[in-house]
Parts: sequence; C-alpha cells; structure tokens
Amino acid sequence: MEKRRFSPQMAPLLLKEFLETWRDRRALWMAICFSLMFPVLLAGVTIFVVKKNTEETTRLALLGAENAPLLERQLRGPNLEVEAVAEGSPRQLLNDGYDLVLQLPDNFARDYRDFRAPPLYLYMDSSATGAGRAEHHLQERLNSLQQLVVSQRLTARGVAPQLLAPWQLQVRDVSTPSSRGALILAMVPGLLILTLFVASLATSVDTSAGERERLSLETLLLQPLPAWQVIAAKTLAVASLGWLGSLLAIAALVALMPVMPLAELGIQQATTTGGVLAMGLLLLPLALLVAVVQILLALRSSSFKDAQTQLSILQIAPVTLLMVLDAARIDLTDNYWQLVPLVAQQQWLKALLVGESVSVGWVLAGSLTCLLLVAAAIAFGARALRRESLLGAV
Amino acid sequence: MIEVESVHKQFAGRPVLHNLGFSVPDGQITALLGANGAGKTTCLRIITGLLGADSGRVLLGDIDVARDPMAARRQLGVVGDREGLYERLTVAEYLSLFARMQGLSGGALREALDSIRSELELGDLWHRRTRGFSQGERMKVSLARALVHRPRHLILDEPTRGLDVLAARLLRRTLLRLRTAGTTILFSSHVMPEVAELSDRVLVMAGGRIVGSGSPRELAQHTGCDNLEDSFVALAYGDTGGEEEQRQERAPA
Repeated sequence: MEKRRFSPQMAPLLLKEFLETWRDRRALWMAICFSLMFPVLLAGVTIFVVKKNTEETTRLALLGAENAPLLERQLRGPNLEVEAVAEGSPRQLLNDGYDLVLQLPDNFARDYRDFRAPPLYLYMDSSATGAGRAEHHLQERLNSLQQLVVSQRLTARGVAPQLLAPWQLQVRDVSTPSSRGALILAMVPGLLILTLFVASLATSVDTSAGERERLSLETLLLQPLPAWQVIAAKTLAVASLGWLGSLLAIAALVALMPVMPLAELGIQQATTTGGVLAMGLLLLPLALLVAVVQILLALRSSSFKDAQTQLSILQIAPVTLLMVLDAARIDLTDNYWQLVPLVAQQQWLKALLVGESVSVGWVLAGSLTCLLLVAAAIAFGARALRRESLLGAV
Repeated sequence: MIEVESVHKQFAGRPVLHNLGFSVPDGQITALLGANGAGKTTCLRIITGLLGADSGRVLLGDIDVARDPMAARRQLGVVGDREGLYERLTVAEYLSLFARMQGLSGGALREALDSIRSELELGDLWHRRTRGFSQGERMKVSLARALVHRPRHLILDEPTRGLDVLAARLLRRTLLRLRTAGTTILFSSHVMPEVAELSDRVLVMAGGRIVGSGSPRELAQHTGCDNLEDSFVALAYGDTGGEEEQRQERAPA
C-alpha cells in the first residue's frame, strides 16, 4: 500500500539525485566525449573515403614508352598521372612511389601493326594501400582505349562496330537520395542508441552499486519515502545524462552534415529541424528504460566492479542485436515491430535521418510500451530495494 | 519508548536473534553491548526497519515498524556504522535535502538548519562538500542529518568509532543534551568507559538474546564485578570469558 502512495518528499529526493549526477565530472565528461566522438568520427571517415576515391591520383610509370609514343598521351587523364621512364626495374620503381608500372616490350609497335596483340606487362604491389584502386583506374583507361582502337579498325575495314556489340547495357539507378542516405547512415541509429548506454553507464553504477558500497543507500532507505520513488528519482537523474548524450550526438551529427561530402555520395541532407526535435523526443522513453535497466542490473551485482563489468557487456548487446537484425535482413517493416523498444527507435531514427516521415500513432504506441516497461522495472526495483541481501545481510 | 517483542531472525537458516525482547525508555540513554557477531547490528537494523523480523514485532511509541514503516521513519534518527554521506553535496545541501525528505519546509526548515549548525559546530564546514572530511567531521555531519528533523528516537551504531577526542566529546555532550530534551537513545558500542559514562541502562547481548540488563551499577552488583567491562565479559562470555580472553591474548597480533 505504501509503495503506491505519492510522497511530496520526492522533490528533494529528485534534487539530490540530479545534483549528485550532474556534479559527477567523470561521468559528465564520459557522456560528452562519447557523444561528440562518434559524429566526428563518422564525418571524418566519410570525408576521408570520398576524398580518397575522388581526389587521389594514380602514378603510373611507363617503361618502354618509346615503343608506343602515343600511348603515354592517350592514357593520361583525370586521376591518372603517366610518366615515361627510360630505365629501371619495376620493383624499384614501385618502391620509388609509383602505384603501377606498365612495361611495353621492344617489339610492341611491330606486333601492334601486325595485329598480333602484343602483351603489356602491368606490375603492381598488391600489399600496398590503394593498389587495387590504381589498377582499377588504369584498367578503365585501357578498356576505353581498347574499345576505341577496335571500333576504328572495324570501321576502316567497312565493318559496323555494332556487329561486335550485340547489346548495350544501360544502367539506370532508381535509388533516391533518401534511400542512398539510409544505406550510408544505417549505422547512425545504432550509434545513437549506444550513446544512451555509454553516457548513462558511470552514473547508473555510481547511484546504485556505488551508493550501496558506500552505505549511503541505507541512509536513503531510512527516509520516509516509498521505495519506488527512490528508484524513479535515480532513473530520472541517470536518464537525463544519457538523454543529454544522445541529444548532443544528434546535434553534432546535424551540425557536421554540411561539411560531410554527402552530395558526392548522391545523398541530399534531408533532416529538418522538426525531424531533429522528433529524434530527441523519441529517444526519451528509451533513455528512461536504459537507465532503469542499468540501475537494476547494478543493484543485483555483487560489487561496484562487478556492476561496471556487467553493464559494459550490456551496452554492446543491443547494438549487436540491431546489427544482427540488419545483417540478417529481417523484415522490420511490419508495424508491430514499432512496439518493440530498441527496434522501434532504430527504425524511427533511420527514417527521420533521411527526411522520411514516421507514423505519429505508432510512435506514441511504441513510446507508451517503452514507458510501461519503465514503470514495471521501477516496481521491480522497489521490490529489489527491500531485499536483505542488498544491504549485505545474508 | 522503543519496544522489541519476541523477535526472531535467521539468515540462510542460521539463527541470529532468538526471542529477543527489551524496551528502551524515553528520555534515557540505553547502550547495547555485545561481542562481534552477537547480533547487535541486526537488532538495530530491525528496529530501524531496514530488515524485517521473521517473527515478533518492534514498536516505536505506538507505531509498529513493520506495519507503518513511513510513520516509524519520521520518528527515527539513525547514525549507521558508516556515515552515509554524499560527497558531491555541501553540508548545507545535504542537511537541507534530508530535512526536506523528512517533511520540513519554510521557516521550520530554516530554523532546524540554523539550530543544528550551531549545536554541532558545523559553521566552518557548512558550505564545503564532504569529500576529504576527517572521520570526526563526517560523523558530525552524519549525526546532524540524523537529528535535523528532531526525531523522538535516536539509534546509533558504534558512533564513536574512529573519532578523535574532541569529536567524541562533542558527541557525548550532544547525546546528554538530547536525553535532557526527552529523546529516546539507543546506541551500540565497544568502548566501556564511554558506555559507563553515558548510559542510564545497559543491555548485554550474546548469541542473539539479551543476557543482562540494568544500570552499570546494577550489572556490577549482579555479576559481582568491580567495573562494567568485567561485568560485560562475565555476562557475554559466561564461564568461558576468562578462557576467551586468554585465547585472544595468545593469538598472534
């Protein structure tokens, strides 16, 4: 009966929990650093990958260029720098900074004129970074050159080049900027959810296992407060830090989007202010659920250290689960998935990140389910506080 | 008045308290003595409602602790075997928050804080966070928290452990003043001179039951000993007390 009664003394209890949480510098820095780290890393990796793919030039050394004087000029193009080299071993040239070495044999010109398909020797170091990309660049250039030569030779002999091309493959990409964005940004919801776990970890351990170890939890339990209010106040305080972490991460991500080369990837930034606010709001019930689950696990652990270990493992579990669901290509489009915490938030975030809309009704239903689980966990936690083993009495 | 009636308690099948019964009168200081493992802390935790008794009951005034724990907690001030401080709060914040949790507000809250600040000489510590406080300072703040709402019953578990002379004197002075004001005080201790000086009544526990009770003088008369320490040894250890003493003296440090 006591546990259902609301006590006005919850206000000082809440204030106590919030002061304790927000003055814990270690926990605060951990939350802020992780929240900012992943958007910065994501932006950095995207910029790096695009820059590497679009701006990096392949250096090609051409040995025996005098045997095909025009080839050097015809191979040259954007991202392919060709240098005729009089002498040197291919291995030495690769060591000297060339990505590829193309060697033309002495009889290249004669065999070419006699239609004997003279060989071209391409040397590369497959263990070097960018070797594959360099080879791809050169193959592209050589293929188009080869097509040109074949077409000229056929035309000179009065044969229509189309005879050697029974069809023409035309590729039409039907993806939209949104769907391309969803592919690129697929990992972001999982990382935002991970931020919730990481940002609230230190505080949840400190306020539960930590307080139990310092015996200050005992002092709190001696106050005329229902046990559910103790758990609820701790949950709200811990969730506030986790939520702050995810809000910071969203803000940093949105702020970094203009500097990310999304256009080069064919993605348009579609996140609106409303979408950003919605992302923040729909993470709030999940922040509460994460906080209360962490507190319950920490309370049932045998020590502060044990709680840290258990929660460190726990924070990897949901993100792994989401990745497995993604990798297994489980169809999550069924609306009932929106009633499953974590999966629901992942789906909503995915949609909002690329500017798609989400069903308000399903978001409310999913959030309500999440809050019901929070209430059940608080009730369970209130029972746990009455366990004698919690106070070390066994 | 605190009344403990026929309390039984066991942990994992091991009995800790057997048919424990005693009363602590109002306006008196009662000391609870016992060897380590005698059941003192369990007894105090049952009185405060932190643990439940397997059978029997505890009354604070006319409030049954198990039936109405909220009302019981409003009448209780407890200083446990650790101070239970929050190191990121200042003393002022800590005491104010706990006073508000006990239902104080407005003028009554201000008055209670001012009063406890001067009574326990907390002026220098008032705006400092409790991290880095000495044992004496921590005990003073903990005692202030237990007293800020003027409880009718005060429970202390080994309150002078680790205190320096000045802090112990302040604690003794405070307890004597509270006794004069009519507060019911129950404390556990191993320091016999302190118990002899402070207590109106002494309860001796052994094996989970009360084996002796009365004023220090009555206990001495009953056991035929000269002082409280000998009386305690005779009651708590019985005939084996001397052997136990010798065994402990022989044991390597």
